[in-house]
Amino acid sequence: MKKVSKPERGIHPLSGLFRERNLFLRVRGILLPYGFLAPSLIIVLLFFFIPLVMVFILSFTNLDMTNFGILEWWRPANWNLNNYVKIFTNRFFPKILGNTAMYTALTLAFFNMGMALVIALITTHINRRAGFAFRALWLLPRLTPVVVYIMMWKALAGPAPMGVINSIFGPLGIGSGEYLLNMSPWVFIILVNGFIGASFGIIIFSAAIEAIPKDYLIASKVDGATTWQTIRYVTIPMIKWPLLFVTTYQTLSLLTSFEYIMLLTDGGPGLYQTEVWALTAYHRALSSYFGNIQWGYGSAWAVILVIIGIVMAIVYLRVFKFGELVEEPKIDRL
Amino acid sequence: MKRLFLLMLIGCFVVAGGLLALAQEEEIVEFYVRCWARPPMESWRGDNIVLAVAELNADLEAAGDPRRVEVNLVQDDPRDWGKYATEFLLAYGVGEAPDIWLTGHEHIGVQAEAGRIIALDELMKEFPGFNNVIDSLWDSTSYKGEIWGVPQDAEARPLYFNKALLKELGWSANKIAALPGKIEEGEFTLYDMLAVAKEAVDKGVVADGNGFWTRPKNGHDFTALYYAFGGETIDTATGKLVFDEAAGLKYYQFFYDAAQNYGSMSCLHGDWSLWHGTITDGKVLFWVGGTWQWAEWAEEYFKELGGEAYLWENWGFGLIPAAEKGGKPNSLTHPLVYTISSQCEHPDLALALIDKVTDYGPNTRHAIASNHMGVLKDQTEYKFYKTSRMLSEALYMLAYTTFLPNNPNWGAYATITYEALAAAVGGDLTPQEAVDFVVESLQRELGDKVIIR
Repeated sequence: MKKVSKPERGIHPLSGLFRERNLFLRVRGILLPYGFLAPSLIIVLLFFFIPLVMVFILSFTNLDMTNFGILEWWRPANWNLNNYVKIFTNRFFPKILGNTAMYTALTLAFFNMGMALVIALITTHINRRAGFAFRALWLLPRLTPVVVYIMMWKALAGPAPMGVINSIFGPLGIGSGEYLLNMSPWVFIILVNGFIGASFGIIIFSAAIEAIPKDYLIASKVDGATTWQTIRYVTIPMIKWPLLFVTTYQTLSLLTSFEYIMLLTDGGPGLYQTEVWALTAYHRALSSYFGNIQWGYGSAWAVILVIIGIVMAIVYLRVFKFGELVEEPKIDRL
Repeated sequence: MKRLFLLMLIGCFVVAGGLLALAQEEEIVEFYVRCWARPPMESWRGDNIVLAVAELNADLEAAGDPRRVEVNLVQDDPRDWGKYATEFLLAYGVGEAPDIWLTGHEHIGVQAEAGRIIALDELMKEFPGFNNVIDSLWDSTSYKGEIWGVPQDAEARPLYFNKALLKELGWSANKIAALPGKIEEGEFTLYDMLAVAKEAVDKGVVADGNGFWTRPKNGHDFTALYYAFGGETIDTATGKLVFDEAAGLKYYQFFYDAAQNYGSMSCLHGDWSLWHGTITDGKVLFWVGGTWQWAEWAEEYFKELGGEAYLWENWGFGLIPAAEKGGKPNSLTHPLVYTISSQCEHPDLALALIDKVTDYGPNTRHAIASNHMGVLKDQTEYKFYKTSRMLSEALYMLAYTTFLPNNPNWGAYATITYEALAAAVGGDLTPQEAVDFVVESLQRELGDKVIIR
């Protein structure tokens, strides 16, 4: 019996070409997203990752004004833990850490989260245009150049008769007419940062609240829920993701922010009264009256701040159950 | 044909020679000059150099030197020596350091040690004009036996007092007028001053905290008070920094007492504009300032009231009082100095420019405009120098003057000793704790580079 060989299935004279084309499309499919990501990846590498590695290395050296250009800081032979020992044995280390914790916690609680959420809730429950106008007004401090903004606050806190607050309340017998920034520096620092910081949360929260399907709110009202109950049991749970995002983002932002404090009090009055961690890193690494700039020591302060930030971010992700927030809706899995 | 060729050849030589001569004339040396100067009072620091360029170029032309100098001047008031020094350092790092850098004399140690500025001894031999500089001022520019800078100006840091407030306390005009003399004789001490300050607070003449003020943040003035209590900062034999525990204890005790018991020192808020504003509002009785601030106050705060005339009427000044009766009062001068970067390709010309401005005319212009002391011998006899009343009346202070040490680690030392002071003023540390903190921190940061006595 003659065996008739069947032609190979699917082999076409042009099939090789198709195969190559398919391969090309597959490779392109894999590489294209990376191509789109490449510009930001390069920027992150150049301006964040490499500097971070350099700061990390510098933190183990004693690079300063006296040996700049002389010390070969990149050689492991010049690395040691002295800067970290100096930080943890510094007499003012607990004070600066306490200042940082207080500043971050109070600004976050009262303004960046608390006030932002309250204003977002109010402005989404009133006339839409009025709410929008109010939120736009609240953005003004963020749009104002930092130096101008701080000058305004300094003018507000100034001593009588020039200081606005003293001038207004002085005749009523309130305040001593002294420089309020010296008397209550933390109040002003938290207010100054809080007014700016709250605007970020206001935008995110109001957008999230507006995005909640109206059916849920109507349903809760039909069920007889009060406004507070609606907020507590419908609105807040549905904006959990924005709450996590703003809390994490603003915590990290507050931990590393120092420019407002530097311009307002520069860590004073007195010794380290309002000095926060990031400001210390700046003072040590980049600013010192007599020019004893200590890049190595300042870098060590900065590295610890990065570690604190990473730990805080992980804690938040755990507390807010990040995994549950991003997992597929259960209904889709059925 | 031959003749034509010859003519052409001659023409070529003439043109080439002309071009060569032109090229020689056009050898431009471009200098970058960086000055710390608060305009308009201190603008002569840099402007004098700009004026000197034409004179130097005339000298070069007369001497047949083909080089011609052009100057790019950058001068402003950075208000922070750290930023100013960092700017120089980073510019040096990329090979763009200013050729002439005017800076505080205490930066010489760091920059000389790192090789960023050059020693001037050899070059200076060709400029005899430098012999006119007051001999003691060269001490402030010397490091490891060599001279690294040329003094540009000097000053006194007096104790100022508000005459109107003293009158409110019941002081007669004669008693007020006699105060500088009593300070000079050691009869009016630092604690006498605090006692008057306390009295002023108790009687409501000034607010609590405003009896006696220093500058609002770390700076040079504090060292003068440390010296007043017998403190030393440098060991002349080894060149190492020194901290004297006994003097330090008295020094911190003084500031602790001032803040806690004598209604003083509410000034360490770090805000210069507030500091000037409060003093010029007449709310502070005694304060330590600089002679140059006299010009600043007259120009910026009292111009409409008569400027300096108003100040002479209402304010007075003397030396920083002695710590104990019969002791020696003092003052502190912080000469700014012209240094030459080691990246400067024509240091002889840079020094020639500095030589031009280290002369009676240019230096006096700056002295009068800014109320800084002159740096030249017999400058007080110079016709125009005598026109400034402030310079004449403050001149005696130079006999009592002290300097900061020239040491690469002075910055770390000054920061630590100030931190302790601010903590003592704020009540965070007792005087003894402040001393312990300084000793511990200096040893940790500087190791054997500092001597504790």
